[in-house]
Amino acid sequence: MKREVQAILLVLLGSAVLRISLFSDMYLRYVRAALRPYLVTAGVVLVLLGVLGAVAALRGARHQDHQDHQDSDHDAHGHSHTHGPRIAWLLILPVTGILLVSPPALGSYTAQHAANTVAKPDTATGFPPLPAGDPLALPLAEFDVRAAWDAAQPLKGRRVKLLGFVSPKSGGGWYVTRLVISCCAADAMTYKVEIRGAAAPPTGSWVAVTGVWQPDGQPAQPDAVPALNAGQVVSVPEPRDPYE
Amino acid sequence: MAEQNTLTPEHPAEPGAEPDRPTGRRLGSLELLVAGMVLLLAGRRWLVGWLDAPGLQAWTTVFVAICVQAIPFLVLGTLLSAAITALVPASFLERALPKRAVLAVPAAGLAGAVLPGCECASVPVADGLIARGVAPAAALAFLLSAPAINPVVLTATAVAFPGRPQMVLARFAASLVTAVVVGWLWARFGRPEWLRPSVRRAQPAGAGRWAAFRAAFAHEFLHAAGFLVIGGITAATLNVLVPRQLLGGLAHLPGVSVLVLALLAVVLAVCSEADAFVAASLSAFPLPARLAFMVVGPMVDVKLVAMQAGTFGWPFAWRFSTVTFTVAVLAATLAGWWLL
Repeated sequence: MKREVQAILLVLLGSAVLRISLFSDMYLRYVRAALRPYLVTAGVVLVLLGVLGAVAALRGARHQDHQDHQDSDHDAHGHSHTHGPRIAWLLILPVTGILLVSPPALGSYTAQHAANTVAKPDTATGFPPLPAGDPLALPLAEFDVRAAWDAAQPLKGRRVKLLGFVSPKSGGGWYVTRLVISCCAADAMTYKVEIRGAAAPPTGSWVAVTGVWQPDGQPAQPDAVPALNAGQVVSVPEPRDPYE
Repeated sequence: MAEQNTLTPEHPAEPGAEPDRPTGRRLGSLELLVAGMVLLLAGRRWLVGWLDAPGLQAWTTVFVAICVQAIPFLVLGTLLSAAITALVPASFLERALPKRAVLAVPAAGLAGAVLPGCECASVPVADGLIARGVAPAAALAFLLSAPAINPVVLTATAVAFPGRPQMVLARFAASLVTAVVVGWLWARFGRPEWLRPSVRRAQPAGAGRWAAFRAAFAHEFLHAAGFLVIGGITAATLNVLVPRQLLGGLAHLPGVSVLVLALLAVVLAVCSEADAFVAASLSAFPLPARLAFMVVGPMVDVKLVAMQAGTFGWPFAWRFSTVTFTVAVLAATLAGWWLL
């Protein structure tokens, strides 16, 4: 791999990172929001060093043409500086993935293949009281955890508003669903709430559901899926950050 | 296994299968790259349509996410490594670390606490240290401890397990012990020929410091990033294919649960800054098993093994990862039994 190609790969990868972090919000499909400054910095570093490398390669091309031929023997081991490692060709894959394919955020496919994640929170002191509001807008993850583990059952009788995408329930019915990531989409965790009393909107579409919790009276389980008696289901655009 | 086919449509982009051989001068790497990009641009619609199946789409998202998430840390690690190679005099490191491996290993293990990155950053840094004459055993202890015991990771652990400070302590202790024990094992039993000679000992003569730094960075980054892609492909495939529900059934078998989560950590390759949250969510499992998940994850996972293989060679990577996995599981079991 020539030095020009190394430089182009660095610039391509750097621009792909900048394209999704600096010039758009697309990075939110893949990583958490806090990573943005690091992505921008890394993108700038890659583009800068790539451009400098290209300049040096072009300038050196005149003097070092003969040296290139001497060095090419080492290329097979990827050990030479003039020639980059062959494995770097694989970088075309993430560049293609980011710039050309731009896959959407994880959605109903992932949710259908994951159990609900309602870990018992390790709070010795119990939960703080719910804030005021009618309907009360709650993150889906908090609704799930409160429904399963809050002994005070503050959700009882409260009208809440949940935002998420639609995923089908096997055997009929549907869930409003949200994925939570802590670093990148590879660690996404699924939170679901079963919606009763409303017909299922198209799978994958985003909805805001207003309704009241329907306790089923069973003891709390780490994979329990609480249910909501829906009063109103409104379709909404996908939020800027699709993960909670 | 349909997910692995995702590579097929991108084959036009992978002329690496037939790279520029010295004999094939007529078609150089530059021409291949340009031709590949033109083909990709032309076939974009077809490519996107092909990746439209939900499973493939999820695979592509996870693959891109793993790469995007790792790139800043890889840039940081490579910059540090290139800086060590080009700027830090070898005599400084010789003075900074104790001469005898028995002492240098724990010192380097503790020094891992100062590199606030995840595991992607530590591989190039360890390579840079070895290239600068640091004893491999000490550099390897640093490689293992840095992603596991730095303040960012320990803070994340405390946040993920509120009200359980002993979890942070257990993670710190088990990770440090693993790093030091593996370092000592390498010092005692390791053979130099397993470890591929580092790439950067031969600096182009006559080049200035800045040119050396830039060349070292470009080379190291492209090399490590290429192997990161292999690791990302593997991790994304397993991530999409391994059904998490199956694990629940294994949670209550005593003795097995620790091993199950340790293996899950290898397979999922979650970033060490996020693995505490994943561990916290695996609430069906007992605490020692979740500790094993957090001790093994930053030290052995499919992404990391690919990157180690790229940097140090396969003969090193499989031996090192096997030993590290065994020691990490034992250390986590002991720490879990003692502290949790």
